[in-house]
Formats: sequence, C-alpha cells, structure tokens
Amino acid sequence: MAERPDRARLERALEDALLRERSSRRRFLGRGASAAFLASGLASVLSACGIEGTASISPEELAREARAVRHPKERIGDWTFSNWPLYMDKSVIKDFDRRHGGRCRYVEEINDNNEFFGKVRRQLESGRPIGRDIVVLTDYMSAKWVRAGYASPIDKRNVPNARNLVENLRSIPYDEDRSYTLPFQSGAVGLGYNVKETGRELRSLKEFFNPEWKGRVTMLSEAYDSAGAVLMMQGKYPTTAKLDDVLDAIERIGEQRSKGQFRKFTGNDYTTDLAKGNVAVSLVYSGDMVQLQSDNPDVRFVYAEEGSMLFTDNLMEPAHVEHPYAAEAMMDFLYEPEVAAKLCAYINYLSPVDGIREILERSDPEIAANELIFPPDEVRSKLHPYPSLTVAEEQAMYAEMSAVTGA
Amino acid sequence: MRLRERLLPWWFAGPALLWLLLFFAIPLVNQLSVSLMSGNSEVGYDLTWSFSVYGDAISTYGDQFVRSVLYAGAATLIDLVIAFPLAYFIAYKAGRWRPFWLLMVVMPFFVSQVMRTASWKLMINDDGPIVSVLRDVGLLGTDGRLDATAGAVILGIAYNFLPFMVLPLYAALERIDRRLIEAATDLHASHFTAFRKVTVPLAIPGVFAGSLLVFIPATGDFINAAILGSPNNLMIGNVVQSKFLTVLDYPTAAALSFLLMTAILILIAIFGRLLGTRTLTEAAS
Repeated sequence: MAERPDRARLERALEDALLRERSSRRRFLGRGASAAFLASGLASVLSACGIEGTASISPEELAREARAVRHPKERIGDWTFSNWPLYMDKSVIKDFDRRHGGRCRYVEEINDNNEFFGKVRRQLESGRPIGRDIVVLTDYMSAKWVRAGYASPIDKRNVPNARNLVENLRSIPYDEDRSYTLPFQSGAVGLGYNVKETGRELRSLKEFFNPEWKGRVTMLSEAYDSAGAVLMMQGKYPTTAKLDDVLDAIERIGEQRSKGQFRKFTGNDYTTDLAKGNVAVSLVYSGDMVQLQSDNPDVRFVYAEEGSMLFTDNLMEPAHVEHPYAAEAMMDFLYEPEVAAKLCAYINYLSPVDGIREILERSDPEIAANELIFPPDEVRSKLHPYPSLTVAEEQAMYAEMSAVTGA
Repeated sequence: MRLRERLLPWWFAGPALLWLLLFFAIPLVNQLSVSLMSGNSEVGYDLTWSFSVYGDAISTYGDQFVRSVLYAGAATLIDLVIAFPLAYFIAYKAGRWRPFWLLMVVMPFFVSQVMRTASWKLMINDDGPIVSVLRDVGLLGTDGRLDATAGAVILGIAYNFLPFMVLPLYAALERIDRRLIEAATDLHASHFTAFRKVTVPLAIPGVFAGSLLVFIPATGDFINAAILGSPNNLMIGNVVQSKFLTVLDYPTAAALSFLLMTAILILIAIFGRLLGTRTLTEAAS
C-alpha cells in the first residue's frame, strides 16, 4: 500500500518530463519546422528517382560470368525450390532428400510468371537474394531474367546428367548454350474442343475464327500463345516473327472479338467451360488436357495441322543464390532418366529428358503410347518455341493484347 | 496540465494517424507521382509530370469506368432490396434465433471469394438447371445464356457483397426505439404508415453505410467480371490489374486507380447530399 502513491508520483513526474521535453522541442522546431519536415518527406517520396527498368546485360558479359562460375560441392542443408502447383511428384523430392541429405523446402507458389516476378522484383533489382534456390519460369520470363542479370549461371560440373537434354532444346536464343537455364517441362498450345458441341472433329486453327462457333470460343489471355496461334493460321513462322507481325495477329483477334466471336480470354480456367459445354472450341495447354480427357471423353485435343506453340518452363537459379550446390544437385537428379520418367508419368507434360520413353514402355505403357505426352515426329517438327522479343517490344505486345481482351 | 489535456487526444489518435500516414497518405502521394511518370519497362519510368496519361486513360477506358459504376450501382440496389426485408426480419421477428440468422448471413465469408464466384459459374452454365428453367419460362431465348453476361457479373457482385448491406441495416433497425413505433400507432398511424414514416427514416444511416460498404469495393472489384463476364463485361479493376501485372504500365495503372478513387468520392458526396448531410456522421456513429 505504501509504495503505490510513490509509484504514481514517479509516473506523473516521468510523464511531465516527457511532455516538457516534447513541448520544448516543439517550441524550438515550431509548426514551420514540422511542415518543412513533412514537405521534405513528400519531396523525397516524389523524387524516388522513378521506377527502374529491366535493362539488358550484354551477351559477352553474360558469357564471361557463365565461364567464371564455380559452385564447389558442399553438404546440403535446408534449401528452397519454388515451382507451380501440381507440377511435381512429391515422392521425387523425398527421394532426393534421402539420397543427398538436407531438407528441400518445396513451395508451390508460382501461379503466374508476371505475378511472381512482381513479388521478387525489388529484391532482384537491389541485388539481394530472394530466398529461393530454384525457380521455374516460362521461356519469355526466363529470357527477361537472364538478360537482366537476375539469374545465376549453372555450374554444369555439378549437373553431368544435363547431357540427357533432348536435342531440340539444347539451345535457345536467349541462352544459347544453356548456361543459365535447364528445361523442366514443355507443353504445347493446341486446339481443344468438345465434340458433343461441335458435332465433328476439328483439325485447323482456323476454327477459332469460324463464325459457326460464334460466342462459344475461348482463346488464352497470354499474348504469346494467342498471337502465335494466329500467326500460324496466317502461314507465318511464329518463332522468328517480328513485333509488327505479332501486333497484326493481335489486331485480327480484336476484329473477331468485336464480332462477339469469343466468350472469354482465359488462363487455365477454360477447363470448366470446355468440359461443361459452355464453349465448343478453346485454345488449350496439352498438359491440362490429359487429365480433362480422362474425366470427360467428349473433350478432345489436337495438335493443329498448322502447328503448335511450344512453351518450356525452365529450372533456374536466381541471382545471389544461397544454396547453388543443392539446386544443381536437384537439377542433376531431375535429369536422371528414371526420375524424369517417374515425373512424366505423374504430371503428363512433355519431358525434356532423353530416353524416358523406353523406361515408360516397360513401367507404364499407356503413358508411353499417349500422343499428348510423346507426340509423333511429324507433330514434333511443327512445335514452335515463342518468338524472342525485347522487353519494350514485349510490353507493346501486352498493351495491344490487353486492349483487345477488354482489360 | 492544460497542455497535457490538449495533447491527450493526439496520444489516442496517434497510432491510427501514423497508420494512415504510412499506409495511406504516403502511398497515395507515391501513386500520384507514379501516374505522372513516363517510360517503359525496359528503360524504367521517370517523373516527367505528363498529365496526358489521365486524358488518355479516360478516353481509352471510359467504357470500363461507366460499366464499373453501373454494375456496382445495380448490385447495390439489388442488395438493398434483398437486405432490407431480411434485416427487418432478423431485427424484429427472429427473436432468439437472431444470432443464428446473423451467422447464416456471414457464413459464406468463411469460403474464399474466388471459390464462391467459381461456384456461381458452375450453377449458371449453359446446360445447368437455372439456365434451362429460364429458357423454359421464356426469360432467356433458346440460345440465351447467363454465363459471360452483364447480368451474371452484377448478380455475382450482389451475392458476394450482400452481408455488407445486411449487417449495417440490421444494426440501424435494431437500434430504433420501439416506443417510437408504438407512439405512432397510438396516434392512429397504420402499421404501414408507421413503417414508412418512422422505421424507414430512422434506418437511413444504415442504408447509407450499407450502400457505401457495397458500392465502394464493388466498383473496384475484378474477380466477378474476370470469372463471370465476357470481354465486353470487364470492369476498371480488371484493367488496373492487367496494366499493373501484365503490361507493366505503372503510370496508367496508377492514373486509373486515382481516377476511380476520385469518381467514387464524387458519387458518394452526391449520394450523401441526396440522403441528407447529417446521415454521413450518423452512419459513422
């Protein structure tokens, strides 16, 4: 009881002291000073020197960096692998941990290339590690990262199995000798249709503009995919297309859109519309269709006779990667034919690893015979990678596409 | 001591003010400056005070602006029509079941908005029961559809934001002093007249609060248009999203957000005037 008033007095004294200190400082600084402080804060926010661009590093510089890379073998501890949802047989990760020790934190956090880039962009720009040791990005985003110096070179001495990479993917314009990227999986963009709604089999990309399906067609909101389909429809070769060709193709899509040809421009969400019969014809990803077809036999997929866009998702190490050896050991593991075969049987995309068909013929003949997963040679020759555009060209393409899709 | 008394309210308001400064005022100024930058994603964006972006944004995306306001307005109206009787029932007739009904109103919020909207898509698909009934009774042509129409987007928004209308209306109705209604009927007002002259005017703050809580987020909503709409039903939220995340055209995205905010403020001011200025403060209390 006795100490209570004391404490109260002490508290009051303390409070008074604080207030005095505050008020005296206020007297010195005054209102003008605080206004000036606020104004200088605003000014510094305003002049935050703009937003940095994704300027390119020269190919020579990139090549020199790649030659100099050295990631010595080390004990593997905790490390992080970021990937897209439903894109991994989790037992592969467990097998890796068992063989190499350590713990792979496998995160399914990439839902969209641009969105993921937006998430880690600030760290990459300011040269800090992003806390992930492997990321999986689609060609056009991989190109952006490699050119901007946001990717770390791969020390190929740690990835001897990279020799199993299929011939047609060994070089790509933005990374000619695969120093920065290794393909994870590929997929084709093809013609999907619901045969109950169309009443006949379809073969050609021209069906997307066929007035017979007016209002019952979806195309992909991803400009590379939709513009590529139109370019092939026009008889052009999409991989070497120039920006003007691409913009012209998008304009054609716009003409059809204003006629009410399209129900929607979609991401992966065309699957519901197609299976339910809301739409008859969709531009689709081959990997989605293996699953969709087994649920609904009316849904069909064809590699269109004009050709198909081929996209590849790549394994990459971000700049300033913290556990490069673990990442490279995983890349090597994923390129072992047995592991790649197991993965392929699980996720049903096109594997970039040679020699897995023979393994699957023994273990899983149904998968080995599936043309969506192992396209025949005449189809394979008409699978075209995305064109290589500069950052500014790509932005012009997306701006045009966004005007056409209504957003 | 007088100084201390004067400072006391600031101590209480301090955390909120700091919060507003850090997460509203500064980002707002930043957004304003971004909207006046020019460049592209290759060379970056620099502040050039180019006000033309605002004119361009309005002329290019006028349709989406008008659509956003119309859709949000229609959804707000629908919610008001549904929510008023519902809130009235819960406040006056539900008795000890009140908590149950209130729980039912909020229940859908336990499911993510994307899931709720995607379920709508399943219900209104072309071969589904809703569409076939509407076709049978002649409300839709034989080839008519609900999915990918303006109606679907408006219904989706109305459904998703309904609780925001019900709860403030319920709070306003529940607070009304019953003796006022008794007094009205004692003075020979019919039940309907008492409802019209006493209950409704006293519920206006709830109407105002509910309308704001529905209209403001609905105007910027993009999920409903993205899932339930066609390319001709996209709203300004879809444009901002695509400009910001896909096209990486930050100045236009910032300008559009700024214009949207300004448009909403103006509309609310008009709406507040119509309902009487006092309701603004009453709604907040």
